[in-house]
Amino acid sequence: MPANRTQDACAPNMERAENISVVGWSGARSQISARTFAAIMLASALLSAAFASWIPLQASIITVFLFAGPHNWFELRYFMMRLPVRFGRSRNFFIVAFGGIFALTLAYISLPALYYATLWSGENWTTAMAWWNTALLLWIGMLVLMRGRQTSRRDWSWVVPVAFALCAVNWLRPDLFSLAIVYIHPLVALWFLDRHLRRAKPEWLATYRRCLVLLPLLLAGMLWQLSRTASLADDNGLFWRITQHAGAELLPNVSSHMLVSTHVFLEMLHYGVWIVALPLIGATGAIWKVNSIPVANHGRGFPKLIGGILIFSLFVVTVLWLGFSMNYTATRDIYFTVAIAHVLAEAPFLLRMI
Amino acid sequence: MKPILITAGVVLTLIATAVFAFGDLARPKPSATPEAKSVLYSGLTIVTDSKAYDAKLQISEATLKRISEGAAREGGSASLIQNITHSSSRTMMAGLFMFLAVSFAGVWLARSNQRRNAKAIVAVLIVAFICGVGTMMVRANAGPPGYIRWQNLPQSLKDGKPTYGGVEVEIVPGDENMKLIIPLRNK
Repeated sequence: MPANRTQDACAPNMERAENISVVGWSGARSQISARTFAAIMLASALLSAAFASWIPLQASIITVFLFAGPHNWFELRYFMMRLPVRFGRSRNFFIVAFGGIFALTLAYISLPALYYATLWSGENWTTAMAWWNTALLLWIGMLVLMRGRQTSRRDWSWVVPVAFALCAVNWLRPDLFSLAIVYIHPLVALWFLDRHLRRAKPEWLATYRRCLVLLPLLLAGMLWQLSRTASLADDNGLFWRITQHAGAELLPNVSSHMLVSTHVFLEMLHYGVWIVALPLIGATGAIWKVNSIPVANHGRGFPKLIGGILIFSLFVVTVLWLGFSMNYTATRDIYFTVAIAHVLAEAPFLLRMI
Repeated sequence: MKPILITAGVVLTLIATAVFAFGDLARPKPSATPEAKSVLYSGLTIVTDSKAYDAKLQISEATLKRISEGAAREGGSASLIQNITHSSSRTMMAGLFMFLAVSFAGVWLARSNQRRNAKAIVAVLIVAFICGVGTMMVRANAGPPGYIRWQNLPQSLKDGKPTYGGVEVEIVPGDENMKLIIPLRNK
């Protein structure tokens, strides 16, 4: 880090930002071998698939209760590790990124809030959903374009027609498009792990990707095994919400057992990557040390602000646990609405790693 | 980047103008009578039985379960095609974005002269061609419109032969008797 401070005085802003990233990558340390890492990953995936298939509703309730809040905390810490002290040439990228996260989260929360406050009948719910998805796609398209322009080697202008084509698909069936996001989002964590291993542990990458090949096979096995099972009895409010979240209403001819199991399995993988895999390879630094975060440790950093945010986030995680204990159903609803912010935040930080 | 932003701005301005123009149109009057609710699309076989005393409507357990599930769901189980055709505004938006996608893809195609891009384009075109041919084959295999199958019903009834065709199960308001509507066209 002192070397960083020396460079800071004379180097341009963008260079400082890139140096911080390098410190974050090279700081990754772990005591385990690639084989042990692969064994842990495979065992976790198999156990998750078994539990998700066997007791999907119970597994969903328990995993969300235990891991939803902590995984968000780990994710926040990881994103802070990747945040430059000065945005420099990436200033516009971060303005669009944070502006989009804020605006899209606000819009996403406003829709159910207006509905429950009886200020909106929810009559055009599907259209509102389609507009939100469109805004999301255009925002991501804009971020990809901006990121592509930062290096002359890249021509990412193909993203414009792709984004518009996805918008078209979204307008045909906005509800199914939103459901696709529910299933795709957990997989983004695996992409993060891939990108991180590529930079921090390149010797593990081949092993990781070989393990990743097993995922479609595991999923295909689950779908084949569960496709003919009877739908789950969603006879109480909580079970109904869980099956709806997995898309039981949108796909009435598909067994809700299969849908919930698949979704819970993917969620378990998602939590596993953020809480176990990335910390295991040292991606989040020493968890309790704020100084391991470059934006806090740097001479021009913000140690108090970063420390305060992390402590406040721990408090929110505790409140979430209390909420789940007192009224699980309502807290789950609120959590999955507010948690859209972390889904959105993954896009710019993932792009910064590509 | 700048030309793309300018083009996007012009297109959005045009769309905004169209919104104002259409804003003056009166809304269609809501229909006074509630509409029939489609709950299932299935098959129907009409057979004659010279020994039977009453007409019978036989429904399999699985079909009955699907009908009750469809009826329980608000709005019924509309198919993908129904969902698209019943929302003209959404179809228009989808068409608009598809137009933009094709237009920008064309611009990107014209501007890119790299061999790698050319390979990618060829790959996309091949995939699109295969999908198109596949779609044609599937559609061609879908058979004629539903009413064609019922054209021979009168003759089949006379001959005592069974007739098979598609049927859409609808729940209608009121408590009248069950009604079977056969789409017979005048020859």
